Amino acid sequence: MTAKYDVIVIGGGHNGLVNAAYLARAGKRVLVLERRHVLGGAAVTEEVFPGFRFSVCSYVVSLLRPEIIRELDLPRHGLEILPLDGTFTPMLNGDYLWRVNDHAKTRREIARHSRLDAEAYDEYGKAMIDMAHFVKPIMSMTPPDPTSLNPKGLKDLLFLGRRFQKLPDEDKYNQIQLMTMSAVDFLDQWFEADVLKATMSASGIIGTFLGVRSPGTAYVLLHHYMGEIDGAFRSWGLSRGGTGAISNAIADAAREAGAEIRTEAPIEKILLKNGKAKGVVLKSGDEIYARIVSSSVDPRLTFMKMVGEEHLPDDFTDDLKRYKYRGSSGKVNLALDSLPNLKSLPGVGPHLRGAISISPAVDYMERAYDEAKYGRYSRRPYIDIVIPSLTDPSVAPPGKHVMSCFVQYAPYNLKEGSWDEKREEFGDTVIDTIAEHAPNIRDIILHRQVLTPLDLEREFGLSEGNIFQGELTLEQLFFLRPAPGWAQYRTPIRNLYMCGSATHPGGGIMGAPGRNAAMQILKNKD
Amino acid sequence: MSIFDIIIIGAGHNGLVAAGYLAASGLKTLVLERRETVGGGAVTEEIHPGFRCPILDHVVAPFSPQIIKELKPGHGMEFLTPAARVLALSHDSPSVCIYNDTAQTVREIKKVSARDAESYPGFERSFSRIGKMLAPLLAMTPPALEHSSPGELWNLGKLGRSFRRLDKKNAYRLLRWGPMAVADLVAEWFETESLRATVAARGILGAFAGPWSAGTSAGLLWQAAMDGHAIAPATSLKGGLGALTQALSNSAKNSGAEIRTNADVEKIEATENRAAKVLLKTGEEFSTRAIVSNADPRTTFLDLLDPACLDPSFLLKMRNYRSTGVTAKINLALSGLPSFEGVDGEDARTKLSGRIHIGPDIDYLERAFDAAKYGDYSPQPCMDVTIPTLLDPDLAPAGAQVMSIQVQYAPYNLTTGDWDSRRDEFADTVMDVLSSYAPKLTELIVARQVITPLDLHDTYGLSGGHIHHGEQSLDQSFTFRPLIGWAQYRTPIKGLYLCGAGTHPGGGITGVPGANAAREILKDFKGRKI
Repeated sequence: MTAKYDVIVIGGGHNGLVNAAYLARAGKRVLVLERRHVLGGAAVTEEVFPGFRFSVCSYVVSLLRPEIIRELDLPRHGLEILPLDGTFTPMLNGDYLWRVNDHAKTRREIARHSRLDAEAYDEYGKAMIDMAHFVKPIMSMTPPDPTSLNPKGLKDLLFLGRRFQKLPDEDKYNQIQLMTMSAVDFLDQWFEADVLKATMSASGIIGTFLGVRSPGTAYVLLHHYMGEIDGAFRSWGLSRGGTGAISNAIADAAREAGAEIRTEAPIEKILLKNGKAKGVVLKSGDEIYARIVSSSVDPRLTFMKMVGEEHLPDDFTDDLKRYKYRGSSGKVNLALDSLPNLKSLPGVGPHLRGAISISPAVDYMERAYDEAKYGRYSRRPYIDIVIPSLTDPSVAPPGKHVMSCFVQYAPYNLKEGSWDEKREEFGDTVIDTIAEHAPNIRDIILHRQVLTPLDLEREFGLSEGNIFQGELTLEQLFFLRPAPGWAQYRTPIRNLYMCGSATHPGGGIMGAPGRNAAMQILKNKD
Repeated sequence: MSIFDIIIIGAGHNGLVAAGYLAASGLKTLVLERRETVGGGAVTEEIHPGFRCPILDHVVAPFSPQIIKELKPGHGMEFLTPAARVLALSHDSPSVCIYNDTAQTVREIKKVSARDAESYPGFERSFSRIGKMLAPLLAMTPPALEHSSPGELWNLGKLGRSFRRLDKKNAYRLLRWGPMAVADLVAEWFETESLRATVAARGILGAFAGPWSAGTSAGLLWQAAMDGHAIAPATSLKGGLGALTQALSNSAKNSGAEIRTNADVEKIEATENRAAKVLLKTGEEFSTRAIVSNADPRTTFLDLLDPACLDPSFLLKMRNYRSTGVTAKINLALSGLPSFEGVDGEDARTKLSGRIHIGPDIDYLERAFDAAKYGDYSPQPCMDVTIPTLLDPDLAPAGAQVMSIQVQYAPYNLTTGDWDSRRDEFADTVMDVLSSYAPKLTELIVARQVITPLDLHDTYGLSGGHIHHGEQSLDQSFTFRPLIGWAQYRTPIKGLYLCGAGTHPGGGITGVPGANAAREILKDFKGRKI
């Protein structure tokens, strides 16, 4: 039986599509198979209610690698990033903190809360950008295997060591702290205003089962400074037409390069022949053959479901079982009749165009986490709100709006009851929390979509509802992602590769895993 | 006015070890201790007429055999190591005792879980392998990351090689465990909650962290490096831990060191960025070629030194050095041996002679920590308890006992009230919890000594009441302890050194920081750097 394709990519998420695009551009015959009726995985736009188009899961973009935008020429394929300016944080005392890209403005605003912090904010920004520059190249490198004796691995490690050693002492100090400290401990050293620390630390916990005081959360603060839309550090954006438009642009680039993409093609098994991957079997029963299979779905689905433990070395399956998912977030998407009216800054204004962050105090954030630790969703969760229709009217009917609410914490495993019973109750909690800051919210909701971690698992194939295909904690990063010894996109099954967020450098609409994996596949094909 | 080669501030065990080495090499050494007795955290004092108790630390970490060999503090010093390491108590499952002996422990664990009994030997083996690999790290001066000397690079190389000598599996375990939450680590090995919690306890000992905090597994790795076992031993001494520091002090004196108690240091004086003088509160002053501080880093740099002597960015980093304590100590004089629920039979005394762990499950430990985060002590604290009289009856009148209780969490900073006003309310909470395991305990109490974090600060000079001289998180360990660039026991002030738990390898009664510091100081003397 001759293979019709060089590579079958499992999953039409942004990483799968990036992977396919690069392989197709290198002249490979590529087939992408997506289970759902739409492409994009978690980077998808769907018209859930007539006229209202939601970025159902992922909702902002900042980490998408510029080289990918460039190399795949995504703007030509319809990608358009609209700037999302600022973060507005309503406080419990009726005041607010409003940070925008306009530096002077932000300084004045922070000075309202603390003069010292306004000073420190510049220093902080400078330091973080230096750090981001240090970390950037690591994003697009294949992690070495520190235990192997092959000189390449050693060379890469030494490369890292030397780069670190070359850092100015001050940066070394910051880098170590960033990698190990908690977001709050780290920020405590720079700032005194509680609300500033609370809302900044929020970025450290997104998608993790950690609190703002948990060591290891400081690192993610960097990501904010790595957003590089049009080379501009620190800016976040929305893609016109929702995040699905990003996936569509990448898919378009892939197709143009000759890749074939099929939706509604769920996979039953990965075909093996004497320990080698040689294709896939669809649920429909069709068998499709290829020389290489590249999976963008998470390891649990790829190996436990599609390959089967019996074909894997025990150590590897043990490691996969240890690999932590622990989804901790939910999503509530609202169709609104008009705009919310914030207590702390009433009326329609530019403050609604950015992100509205319900992260009023450090203790508020930490208590939200405490409840999750013991298996309850937060009574008063952290919510990151965006109203894309203000920036991109095309996603809602005239005069109406869509509101995207990212909610944490919503632990996948509940101590009492199931998510199916608790879904609406959870939705109510989110609305109640928002109502404390925008009292009119209940009156303006036309429709609401509540996504629990369980829904994320069922609908989008994210095990335990983890939006990053596995926690981004230190012991699951770089050469440990997803399993010790298997961070090079290869797997114990020959000709089977991984190219999703469960590989280095991890989740977020970044595309780096898909691209790195493509490079590996092109390098070591047999 | 006499001139010394070395003045050591603080006669804790590390200060005394340093004194021993430095005096033995012929340097004129003076040790200044503010309290009326030497020993710092390792002291035995009378808490009630006839009842003597290890006041702060109650077990050694263990103490470095290398140092014993070299300093020979010898006679009058007898280590006592009970067969039991730790006894895990729980209301909803039988007690489990971890012994030094693997087979005995496995039999014990079988009572609660066949699966855990099966995985235990592997757990021990893995940690002893990794421990062997890490052990050389302890006695080594952490390399300076910026301008590594050839010697340091050589050490790093050696390290790399011994790491690569680990089998792949354990090598990766080490890499994964380093930054991992100890709750996850124990869950990978055991299913019994009380066993999980008891093993995890070592990861959070004295730390402003809970079992779910990332990086807490490191504590188990350090323990394994110190004695090849992830679970700390219950080793003490005849006469309590004070006997150790008494012996160290005597041997230092025999080597020619002068040791003064009730000598409270007011100030370290530096001239032209070089340590010159030590001033006492009494106004007395001593000139010296070098000063070695056994006090914690914050006290040394922020209290004893004039800030003007230090570079602002160093000062800022030092102010950010995290040193907020979370432990308190309660010592009891008891008229008899309390009986613990579910611990009976002829081997009861054996089981109770190790450490007794209170904190039956991971969530319990985490909840205990939650309180500390918001500035309150745990309503349900976890405890590390010993009954020293079971090993050394002479500490109390015939038949009577002393009990030493280390309590966590008791944060140095309270949101409501202060430690002096809440001392007894706190102690009563601890007694209530402990009584739920040892029902008749309160009836046996003859006297009770309560040492709050504030006392640790005021009486024992531990900044922030932190028993390890500062948080031992990843960013404050090894080559980052106390600060990156200053982990070689030297300081920005020429001739001023650190030798306490605020330096590598940190807290616990090991003596290693003192020995490492002495080695570096002697290098500088030989190199005519001082």
